[in-house]
Amino acid sequence: MSPIQIILISGVVFITLYLYQRLRSNLIDAILIFLFCGGAVFFIVFPDATTAIAQRVGVKRGVNLVFYVTILFLFFLILKLYSRIRKLEKKFTELVRDKSVEKAEFLEKK
Amino acid sequence: MTNPSAIFIIVPCFNEARVIRDTINVLLERGYNVIVVDDSSADNTREKLKGLPVHYIRHEVNLGQGAALQTGLAFALEKGAGWIVTFDADGQHDVNDIPRMMEVMEKNGAGIVFGSRFIEGGSANLTSSRKIILRTARLINYFASGILLTDANNGLRLITREAALKMQITENRSTHSAQIQDLIRRNQIVFAECPVHISYTDYSRSKGIRNIASIRILYELILFKIFR
Repeated sequence: MSPIQIILISGVVFITLYLYQRLRSNLIDAILIFLFCGGAVFFIVFPDATTAIAQRVGVKRGVNLVFYVTILFLFFLILKLYSRIRKLEKKFTELVRDKSVEKAEFLEKK
Repeated sequence: MTNPSAIFIIVPCFNEARVIRDTINVLLERGYNVIVVDDSSADNTREKLKGLPVHYIRHEVNLGQGAALQTGLAFALEKGAGWIVTFDADGQHDVNDIPRMMEVMEKNGAGIVFGSRFIEGGSANLTSSRKIILRTARLINYFASGILLTDANNGLRLITREAALKMQITENRSTHSAQIQDLIRRNQIVFAECPVHISYTDYSRSKGIRNIASIRILYELILFKIFR
């Protein structure tokens, strides 16, 4: 096993354990998290497996396939996060607005 | 002529303490109702307005000009406004334009009248770089909203109660001008333009949006188109 494999595997295991202890909400979540972890470790230990899949979809090297999929996934994530931010901003604005209107004052002394 | 007491003027402001009292006084002299929406200024805006018969609303955090306008709109409607005017705080607008806009509104049966410094009878002492940017901005707003105005970024507008009830500005920052255009197209509100006079002073120039900021506005506009 090469050093990079050890680094990657310990990283994946660390993230998995961290996720698990933070959001061990139900069994399905836990199973999913560990499945992802298992998959990641598998492809790290047997990197040639990705190449086999890659060649089936017309990509030469497994690394390239992983790279393409990752870009897509990250882009999707950015869009999701951004729309979440917009929703939050909208709620926040409404809160600030309601409060400010509630506290509106007429400055001339009666 | 319409009774000025049915007209509510929304003045959004952010750190305009130096000029706000002068701007407001001119409006009050004409008998208009004034709503100042202070978008969390760090200066003594409220102190400067003390004793004046104005409604003062303060955002506890800075949200942007679009948000301040929407707050003012909501408040004016609650107060029973028949007509609503949006008016910049820095003193660049001319109060005499308001009755002229009223006339244009009646003549066209419009729900909203936009002030324009670029149609005949309007004026502004603009630098040439600013002119180019405003000309471009109007085209960009056209692509974003489907409505072409001669002066898309003019802060002076007159809105009827009926039209204001249909509008809900959710673009908190500078893209609100494009959103207003978008809203009038979606709600099929009749609009018209009226020549207005803009007088830039060194003060308003130093306070206004810098030319370079138009790039950020363009970016926000693209996001608005995608995420509306």
